[in-house]
Amino acid sequence: MRFRACVVNVATFFRIVQAIEKLQKTCIIKFTETNMHIICNNDNNEGGIQVWSQIKVNSLFNDYRIQSNANNEITMAMSSEALLAALKSPSSNTSLDGEEVIMKLAKKNEHALLSFEISGMSRVGHGMRIVHDVKINVLKPVDVAKLTEPLCPTPDLHILLPPLALLRTIVDRLRPMSDLLAFQANNNKRLLLAIRNDSVSVETEWNDCQNPAAAEDEGNGDDEEPRDPNKMYSVCISTRSFLKFLNIHVVSTTTIACICQSHCLILYVYIGDVTDAGGVLTFYIPAIIDDDGR
Amino acid sequence: MSQSSEPQEALPPVLVASVHDVRYFASLLRGVNFSNRATVTVTERGLTITVEDARTLLGTAFIFAGVFDEYIYNPEAPQPRSPAPQAPRPKRKQRPQRPQNPDYSETESETESEDENDAYNPDEDEDRQASDNAAFEIPLNTLIECLNIFGTAGPSTGNISTSINPIGAGRGQGGGVGRGRGWQRAANEDEDGDGGRRLARGIEAHFGGGAKEGKTGMRLAYAGGGYPLTLIIAEDASGPTTTCEITTFDPEPHLELDFDAEKIVLKIILKSSWLRDALSELDPSCEKLTFIGNPPTPQDGSGSGRNKRRQSDRLGVAKPMLRIQASGTFGSTEMDYPNDREVLETFECQQTVSFSYRFGHILRTIRALQSSTKTSLRIDNEGLLSLQFLMPSPKLRAENGADAFIEFRCLALDDDV
Repeated sequence: MRFRACVVNVATFFRIVQAIEKLQKTCIIKFTETNMHIICNNDNNEGGIQVWSQIKVNSLFNDYRIQSNANNEITMAMSSEALLAALKSPSSNTSLDGEEVIMKLAKKNEHALLSFEISGMSRVGHGMRIVHDVKINVLKPVDVAKLTEPLCPTPDLHILLPPLALLRTIVDRLRPMSDLLAFQANNNKRLLLAIRNDSVSVETEWNDCQNPAAAEDEGNGDDEEPRDPNKMYSVCISTRSFLKFLNIHVVSTTTIACICQSHCLILYVYIGDVTDAGGVLTFYIPAIIDDDGR
Repeated sequence: MSQSSEPQEALPPVLVASVHDVRYFASLLRGVNFSNRATVTVTERGLTITVEDARTLLGTAFIFAGVFDEYIYNPEAPQPRSPAPQAPRPKRKQRPQRPQNPDYSETESETESEDENDAYNPDEDEDRQASDNAAFEIPLNTLIECLNIFGTAGPSTGNISTSINPIGAGRGQGGGVGRGRGWQRAANEDEDGDGGRRLARGIEAHFGGGAKEGKTGMRLAYAGGGYPLTLIIAEDASGPTTTCEITTFDPEPHLELDFDAEKIVLKIILKSSWLRDALSELDPSCEKLTFIGNPPTPQDGSGSGRNKRRQSDRLGVAKPMLRIQASGTFGSTEMDYPNDREVLETFECQQTVSFSYRFGHILRTIRALQSSTKTSLRIDNEGLLSLQFLMPSPKLRAENGADAFIEFRCLALDDDV
């Protein structure tokens, strides 16, 4: 089993891990020949939010070499906090000149490690080398096979979200007011975030969100009746989970939300341009069915 | 069924108010946000927000109609079926008080006309019992959070009012004779740039927002007893719109702390920063705060130097005019204010007075104090403290003529506590 890569885009890698770290204490990373998949599928994180991401290797790394008996794939579990700490020093402003970050699989005292080797010149011109070792568990192929993305029905609609940073300020205000957030949208550019409690009901509405055409819809459009574009679809989710998802605003450019009514909310966060995306992070936020069946 | 509901719907809402930038409104609300349940009283002249704590402290924000771009108050008709147009109410005698409010800030240049400052007193609370108002209770914190939903009504950006205001004030007053140094400098430096700035502000007001800094506009409506307070909040025409419906409650009777202007034993007007700096020095663990006032000694007015005064202090000849004393488990702090017009713009005290208050209650006022420019501190013979904070409006004075203010009244601690 061999693995070695040079991290070129430390900043992006760091930001992704930053958002992941807020979500879950441990994460799973699966490296394949072409992609890096960061997976958070722990059931015991609050609200049951899951992340399945797919990031093209060449958007973060170069000199990427991977070898294993399992179809040249390596899957490992690690503490997201430790990974974040390892990426923090090279991504900070005090980084070294002509810096190079090598990420490789290593073994020390019979323990598997993901080792980050940072080398460069200090301000005064001395050569410096810093090594961060992140303890990992390499998953067996049997366990890897058990990792499956959640199954979801065909989404009722797709809608492009407004800038996540703006959404975050709004949801931040809503969080103390309610644990439940209603996420509603239609196929006519309308998006609505609503909360309700004993003393207040707050609804924030956008009327200028694009609805990207879903590929499946075009294929079998004939046999289905054209749906009313103004019909609102709604899903009730945990406000805190949505807020945690919104931490990803640091890397996002385009985000598409899909509503599977009374099932879940799926969010596709594109890194870089949609057409030439360096990767997609997929967030699943399960619906909460409350007593009113909202 | 439908017949009976129609005329009800035809009734105009009791209150409709809108403003293109909620920051000033939000900062006024924030000033009294020390308890979540607030009573809002709606009158023709504006809104008052009253909050109470421990049956001892009463905070009231007076928000005049001029703070809003649009302010329509329709007194609730006694019977819903008789929407007879009410005759225009006779102007109350307090009406001329509004234009006089700016006098408060002019005391610096016209210190001799101190007596007029009494006009600033909002001691017409009796009015609230009159029929021409509507009152309801709301969760104040929720209202503030809703106003700040886009993050553009927060305290950090709200400070802009304090930086703009001195310029406006300077213009209103012309030269300014004995004005505080900071103000004078501001007026001088900005003499040239003033027109431009004013213009810019005018344009901003028109388009409802600067290029970078988002401004939140708001429209609130209250249909009447039993209806929620409805807020529509938006940053600009293209952005999102937020609709909030805040449940209103029937008002509970509040603590009545009547301040009798004739029984004043200590009256001080000072720049808010002088009081703010003093209070921020104090350790939060303090339990008790005492205001001690001494009548000014006639020969001490020259301000001939701190050393001299301190010497005489030690000899026990002259007492400080104002001393703030705080004590707690870990010790006590004393702060003396010099007899200087720059510091204590107005000082009236006939004989030595000393009253103590719970420090925690005084701390409740700090948020209002921080965003105010001037403070009037009065104590009556029973120790009832009245603190009034002038909240500088970001609008030009000429436009609305009234800065809002926040008043706190606090009962004194018993002497033996």
